[in-house]
Amino acid sequence: MDPIIEVKGLKKDFKQFEAVKEVDFSVEQGEIFGFLGPNGAGKSTTINMLSTMLKPTGGEARINGFDIVKSRNDVRNSIGIIFQETTLDDKLTANENLMLHCKFYGVDPSIREERIREVLHIVDLADKRKQIVETFSGGMKRRLEIARGLLHYPKVLFLDEPTVGLDPQTRSHIWEYILKLKEKAGITIFLTTHYMDEAEICDRIAVMDHGELIALDTPYELKNKVGGDVVEISTSDNEAAQAKIEQNYERNVKNKDNRLTFHVTKGDEFLVQFVREFEVPLHSVNLRRPTLNDVFLHLTGREIREETASQKEIMKRNMKMSMRKGRR
Amino acid sequence: MAGIVAIWQRDVLKFFRDRARLVGSFAMPFMFLILFGSGMSGAMKAMMGGTGASGPLRDFDFVEFMFPGIVGMAVFTTSIFSALSVVQDKEFGYMREILVSPISRMSIAIGKVLGGSTVAVFQGLLMMIFVPFIGLEINLSIILRLIPVMFLVAFVISSIGLLIASTLKTSQAFQMVIQILIFPMLFLSGAFFPLSGMPAWMNVLVKINPLTYAVDMFKKIILQADQMTPALKEAMGLNLSVFNHTITFTEEVLFMVAAGLIFIILATVSFSRTEAT
Ligand SMILES: Nc1ncnc2c1ncn2[C@@H]1O[C@H](COP(=O)(O)OP(=O)(O)OP(=O)(O)O)[C@@H](O)[C@H]1O
Ligand SMILES: [Mg+2]
Repeated sequence: MDPIIEVKGLKKDFKQFEAVKEVDFSVEQGEIFGFLGPNGAGKSTTINMLSTMLKPTGGEARINGFDIVKSRNDVRNSIGIIFQETTLDDKLTANENLMLHCKFYGVDPSIREERIREVLHIVDLADKRKQIVETFSGGMKRRLEIARGLLHYPKVLFLDEPTVGLDPQTRSHIWEYILKLKEKAGITIFLTTHYMDEAEICDRIAVMDHGELIALDTPYELKNKVGGDVVEISTSDNEAAQAKIEQNYERNVKNKDNRLTFHVTKGDEFLVQFVREFEVPLHSVNLRRPTLNDVFLHLTGREIREETASQKEIMKRNMKMSMRKGRR
Repeated sequence: MAGIVAIWQRDVLKFFRDRARLVGSFAMPFMFLILFGSGMSGAMKAMMGGTGASGPLRDFDFVEFMFPGIVGMAVFTTSIFSALSVVQDKEFGYMREILVSPISRMSIAIGKVLGGSTVAVFQGLLMMIFVPFIGLEINLSIILRLIPVMFLVAFVISSIGLLIASTLKTSQAFQMVIQILIFPMLFLSGAFFPLSGMPAWMNVLVKINPLTYAVDMFKKIILQADQMTPALKEAMGLNLSVFNHTITFTEEVLFMVAAGLIFIILATVSFSRTEAT
């Protein structure tokens, strides 16, 4: 079968600035495909071009077999999209928002009712149907947007940072809904995110930086490229410990902020062994999966967050991380 | 087609849900009628030949004269401001939901203009509440003739509004441009005082102002110009002429239809160019 999304040499310049530089990739039908990258990488610009909202400066792309420049209307009919910024009408009720969407997309009047019920059920908003959207929380609005994007049974659903600005619980809920969608009839999902842990559910991830794709692989492979899990320890004598690890385990160890960091494959098994046999007294041990930061560091040699992240987002990430630790 | 209806329906629905806007757009014409109409009618009468005027001008009543202008003003302001919804949709993001859907740009533009026109006709009709207080006589047949004319006028003005809105990104910018536009258009339309003895350059502005013809049509219908004496007609400023040709009602309708077509095409083209980013 032909790929549902085919992109060749797609580029976008804003005056002199190259926001997206000739990217190539394709997405298979039924795949969850993730775009991962720091702020300003060009993720939204790519999505906006694919969804016909921005004219590419060069290259071409097809969605569902339709050219995104020459057959805009066919492309528009084939896709659903949740933009990075909300696009609901706050002054209308959930039902009115959905009803309008049905009309925009020519959903047959006889099945509108059924469709609206169906999508509201998927995102657990059935009881909020008659409420004015203004009164919704951020998470509810996002869910309603997802529901709306599904109303016309698109072949491809674009989600531009569907969980940004939401609390951890709401975020994991949103991902549940997205996974539910995957199980349902082969809808293809194209999403962007900042978060490696969120990208986990993707079948494949493209890492984008400065308008270029610097990696494209399954999450598993990407993390393997980093060199496995991340072990962070602090000891009574970090200098000695560092030397010992580099010698005994042949790892590249970083010593920063009183902490030693190194990568190992199969971190859980390694740690059991390591704690049992390590000679320098340990103060703390922490094992975590690689984050986007680690993958990014590995690919570009710089931290993804140092130039971009707002303080608030770092806090959110830390919160999320301690949540994940707590769950284990 | 369903797309046009959906766009139209949303704007109409939102208008009626927005109490503040309903009251607000009613308040302005109401104040004008009270302040200008009652406050100035004495002065006006004096200007027209004294309160004791005899003969043909005895029937001149400034409040009556004002009223069609007030209706014109209500229709005008409501329809030109209706395009604010386009700018707000851009600001609040909803425009992207519309633009990414398969509805054609032309349908969106037409839907928006029809929405504005509908709301403006409603506002114009609401002005009829004042009729009994002014002492005018208005029957159903007048209202029925008034509605399509109001709609035509509203369509032209809404198209102008959309044309302006399609080039702007913020409500502030839009409101500023409209404020700048609204006063000269209103005052040079004959809505508030008869347009006689104006300097030539101003006369040109009056004649190219679509609102001039709108107000004139409202006057002809509401004041039942066909039953007036020629002198009174003159005093009411109803002998609008271009190049010494007194314009007929039919010509005015044709002029408005032409203006409507030109502006809706310009607005659609301009709107289609907006690339949502
Ligand atoms: N309309 C525009 N005009 C000029 N520059 C733009 C425009 N839109 C985006 N850019 C620039 O293009 C670059 C890529 O932006 P884009 O929104 O695609 O990034 P992103 O990967 O989605 O980032 P984020 O994670 O912050 O959403 C940024 O440097 C941005 O400033
Ligand atoms: Mg973005």
